[in-house]
Amino acid sequence: MERISPHQFTTLGAAVILGTTFLPVASIVTGVGGRDGWMSVLPGFAVGIPYCLMIFSLSEQYPRKNLLQISATVFGKWIGNFIGLIYILIVAYLGGLLLGQVGDIYQVSIMPLTPLWVFFLGGIFLVLYLVKSGIEVFARFSEVVFPLIVIALLLNVGLSIPRIEQGELLPILSEGFKPIFLGTRKIMPFVMTYMLFLAGVIAFLPTGKQELSQLKKGVWRIIFLVGILDTLVVLIQLLVFGPAETIRLVYGLLVLGKLVEVSRTVAGVESLFLGVWLAAAIIKIGSLFFSVIWGLESVFGLKGVKWRHAIAVVFLGISFRFIRGPSLITEIGLVDEYLIMPFVALWIPILWGVSRWKRGAGN
Amino acid sequence: MKTERGKGHKFILRLTIIACLLFLTGCWGKKEVEDLAPLLGVGFDQGEQPGTFLVTEQFARPKKDSSSGAEIEDRTFSVEASSVREAFEKFSEVAYRTPFMGSLKVIIIGEDFAKSGDFNNILDFFQRYAEFRRSMYLVLAKGKAQDILNLKLRSGLLPAMAIKSNIEGGDEISVFPTVRLGHYLTILGTKSTAPIFPVVESVKSREGVEYKEDGKDEAGEIRIHGAGVMHGDYLADYLTDEEAKGYMWLENDVIHRLINTVDLNENSVKFGGQVLKANTKYRVKVNNDKMEIQYQIKTSIAIDEILGPQKQLSGLEWVELVKQAEKDFAKVIEKECESSIKKERELGLDFLGIGRHIEQKNSAYWKTIKDQWEAEIADFPISLEVKVTIHHSGMSSSSASNSGGEGQE
Amino acid sequence: MGSWMKMIKELTIRPKGERQIRKSPAYSFDEDLKKPLSGQTVKEILSKSSDVVFREFFLQGKDRIPCMLAAVDGLVDKNLLDQFILTPLMVDLARHPELTQVTLSNVVDKTLQSLLPGLEIKKISKMREAVDAILSGDSVIFFGNLTEAIVVGARGWANRGVAEPITESIVKGPREGFSETLRINTSLLRRKIKHPSLRIISLKLGDMTNTDLVITYIEKIASPDIVSEVLKRLSKIKMDAMLGNGYIEEMIEDNPYSPFPQISFTERPDVLAGKLLEGKVGIIVDGTPIVLVVPAILTQFLNVNEDYYQRAMVAILSRFVRYVGAFMAIVAPSVYIAVTTFHQEIIPTDLLMSISAGRQGVPFPALLEALTMTVVLEILQEAGLRLPKPIGQTIGIVGALIIGEAAVTAGLVSPLMVIIIGLTAVASYAVPTFDLSLAVRLIRFPLMILAGVLGFFGVTVGLYVILIHLLGLRSFGVPYTSPIAPLRIRALLQDTFVRAPWWALKRRPQLMDVEDPRPNGKG
Repeated sequence: MERISPHQFTTLGAAVILGTTFLPVASIVTGVGGRDGWMSVLPGFAVGIPYCLMIFSLSEQYPRKNLLQISATVFGKWIGNFIGLIYILIVAYLGGLLLGQVGDIYQVSIMPLTPLWVFFLGGIFLVLYLVKSGIEVFARFSEVVFPLIVIALLLNVGLSIPRIEQGELLPILSEGFKPIFLGTRKIMPFVMTYMLFLAGVIAFLPTGKQELSQLKKGVWRIIFLVGILDTLVVLIQLLVFGPAETIRLVYGLLVLGKLVEVSRTVAGVESLFLGVWLAAAIIKIGSLFFSVIWGLESVFGLKGVKWRHAIAVVFLGISFRFIRGPSLITEIGLVDEYLIMPFVALWIPILWGVSRWKRGAGN
Repeated sequence: MKTERGKGHKFILRLTIIACLLFLTGCWGKKEVEDLAPLLGVGFDQGEQPGTFLVTEQFARPKKDSSSGAEIEDRTFSVEASSVREAFEKFSEVAYRTPFMGSLKVIIIGEDFAKSGDFNNILDFFQRYAEFRRSMYLVLAKGKAQDILNLKLRSGLLPAMAIKSNIEGGDEISVFPTVRLGHYLTILGTKSTAPIFPVVESVKSREGVEYKEDGKDEAGEIRIHGAGVMHGDYLADYLTDEEAKGYMWLENDVIHRLINTVDLNENSVKFGGQVLKANTKYRVKVNNDKMEIQYQIKTSIAIDEILGPQKQLSGLEWVELVKQAEKDFAKVIEKECESSIKKERELGLDFLGIGRHIEQKNSAYWKTIKDQWEAEIADFPISLEVKVTIHHSGMSSSSASNSGGEGQE
Repeated sequence: MGSWMKMIKELTIRPKGERQIRKSPAYSFDEDLKKPLSGQTVKEILSKSSDVVFREFFLQGKDRIPCMLAAVDGLVDKNLLDQFILTPLMVDLARHPELTQVTLSNVVDKTLQSLLPGLEIKKISKMREAVDAILSGDSVIFFGNLTEAIVVGARGWANRGVAEPITESIVKGPREGFSETLRINTSLLRRKIKHPSLRIISLKLGDMTNTDLVITYIEKIASPDIVSEVLKRLSKIKMDAMLGNGYIEEMIEDNPYSPFPQISFTERPDVLAGKLLEGKVGIIVDGTPIVLVVPAILTQFLNVNEDYYQRAMVAILSRFVRYVGAFMAIVAPSVYIAVTTFHQEIIPTDLLMSISAGRQGVPFPALLEALTMTVVLEILQEAGLRLPKPIGQTIGIVGALIIGEAAVTAGLVSPLMVIIIGLTAVASYAVPTFDLSLAVRLIRFPLMILAGVLGFFGVTVGLYVILIHLLGLRSFGVPYTSPIAPLRIRALLQDTFVRAPWWALKRRPQLMDVEDPRPNGKG
């Protein structure tokens, strides 16, 4: 069985959470939280920490098993399989939608005349290749790419500093704390999506006591790293565009990329930035792809190349259904908020509670 | 063996399919760089028909120069259309190259068009279409935008490029605001602040500057001078040079300035100098039960020019004179700012962004006056505090003069 | 889509055990070789080759014993044979017959014990051994009809001697390089590492060539897993010829269909010694000055041993230059294509104007222009590579200067393209390892096509495919991309992109499982 080191776990987790969030995050939180939206990013991500800890404690109890298998043991086969089914459907649907987003972003921003299927095929090809190479290579891929994503983000943020407008951040907290709570609620689905992946990848993590504490530390690191990066992304957009424009811009960070000018040598870096973003999207879609594979494996016992290709076809099918950009983005928002969030928010605590209670009863 | 060969065929088949996909379906959106016509400037004027406008587009046509450099030729068209896309369609029928929007530097809005409104509808294309950048400049034209773009400048630059370099060199003098599309949209987003644009105008010989004209009575130079204040969609009024300068001080936009006290009557000795550094802060505070905004301008100036001292000064007198200069400069700055504030009150338009400043500092109070803000502007108390520091007075102390002093009888 | 890769593999890779390329055919003497040892049979087998000489003489002891010395002319040192074998046996013994009690029954032992001086001398009793010994350059003495014989090592043939290596020339550092003779090579290595833990294990490969090779490593530093893996893979090789390192290289590497080299080689004893001390395993093959070193990782192909002889700051700079050069060599043409045909917005307006002006009148699209120029570059490189030096320079001048200049003047190629291609060529020479620069040259073409069809999207997809491929590669169990991924932070900071000063290199690199983590430079 393949293994993932604690460091790889950190970068993989961070890359998966960060994945595709840094493009829409500013528009989303500013939309509900207004000028103060940026403050809601970090608390929103922090909600994920107790969930991660619950998953770890479950994994301690049932080592080398993913959460679906644990569900089947704890709730019995039928309920477990039912949960597994929902899990697979949600994850596959989201994966397909995100693949669709790859096409949308490229077409909107830098290659308006290239047909969408080229991006879909390119994306799914990379994902399949990654999946074929196994979870270890996937982890290494994130290990190499994540620093690049961070550097690209920081560069984009840093180079935008000369474009900052005066005083756009002020006044702080003019509307009280309510906008922050609203924003936090919008951020939570992001971290919940990660829980879906963690539920599966947990089977590949080391189980030793020392490693476990390293992993727990890793979770804190992931949450704070991604939280801070996303906060920065929101902040810089607020500072440059002001709240009204930040809400209006679909992919604000790309617009920022267009504004970058490095002393008359490079005029706009959005096409380079998109290259890095593609890797992030691939990691995210790949993580969902892996989740589907694990789901199929543990619920129906299906594995092998054939099923990988079947999943790829499903992903492609979903993305082809949403070629209208605006409806795609709305759909992603809906899935995040009304499918993933309730599912994860209920499933994991109940599973944890029941397994604890059972263990207590068993003693 | 047979199955392996079969697989081999299949593999070759697949490879061929990929190759076909890649090469036969064409190269989507591919355009060679030499087939592009880089768009440098766009101008908008009022059209003859109602609901239309005259779009003037300035493209560059790069040409190979004999001395292995690039020479840029002018290709400027004007077309009447009712949407910008329609205008581009009409250009494309004439021009054999694909217009490339990524290089657009300036959008020029003609005076009549600015006054008639419908201005934000036009800009929508420029902020929506992916090739454009929000870093392009917006300027108002005195007269028609078409005329500005069709000027043949003595420097050989295309007018769009000339405007761009003038604006980018504007830091040196800080007498007109720099407005990029992104900045404009952000200002619009504040709702309370009135947008402001710099004004570009053609300069004929003997209109302030004299030069040898190429043709009779044709302008060969352009300059950016003053500013225009927008009220919603249309141009409300122009700011004079002095008002624009005041705006620059109050907005903390002054980077370097050339400044003089010649217009001041109180002192016989006049000073000219350069602003090295300037910083404007504002405070919103309660003054006699009423909110007041207070601007604090701090600036460092180096004296480059002294006019009219009648005699050689001793060291102490010299110090006094420099202190006098500080006061004089402060007066000039105050005058500029006051004229700007006066204009704001007259127009009832908050182009100085005072409302936004109040919101930033005291959002609770702002909420109470937000709705009647335009009425409040006229008598909202504003106070000024200008502090000038003279850093040095150049390479010499006293000026050279022939009337009495040391070393003479 | 993932199955394409698999299909290629299925088509082409046979399981490692059955890689039999060529087997030696059946010979009439195959039966003879199984017979008991006899001088007469050996003579029958070998006498058809004129270079094998048989010297028959009598040994005058108690009995008069007919003897025969067989050797290959040219592989033996004749002086040695005359002075220390024939003279003692024929002359000295005949002069003092009373001193020996040599009879036919004890002649072999007596000869070994008291008659022959000389260091390399041993008794054999098998036909095969005798034939192999003769053909390897040893001399064999047969006594009458006895089934035992004596092998005397008196090899001596023309060799090149220790010269400065051509492929890895350096400015500051030792000048000696390996040569074609195995023993000289091992001696060079031994002179660098005078420690009993240096292991040198001998093997023979090649049914017909019978090539000697040795595996060398340092015990307790090299991972035993890797050593046994090397031995396992080598022992699986069955081929009749083993004429150079390339034969082994392809037989034992992990993924033969990767463009990237997975085994490094060196011509320098100091490099080999350094690598062994890092825990690697060397394979020295007789007949070639190239020594294979496994396992190999990607970054080491961009590092050269001169980094260790230079001051750390200088080494860091030159490593940086090399990494940048390698990256440029891969992406420069494709980025140019992508930027000029898809993403003009990335070019500042002034530059755009001059690129556009430069390309006015060029009849080809950028993709074709770049492809043609790169192919021309490859042809120039290939043409210049094998020519004698003075002509090679002419090729360079004609190709680069005259053709390039003429193409620009004629308006066939834009000046910027020439600059880009020139830059690419120069950058690819900054890649220090020949094998890796070949890989770089290979990757360039698909990337250029992707760039021409799909712009930056194509380039990024291509680069990520390469990255995933690299991440999946292993060399003898060690991930090819370590220490970057999986991350080994110490190795990364010490000796990958930078080289820490020697006093900071206290621990051995963690590239692989090293048994002995003892500090290296502790004084």
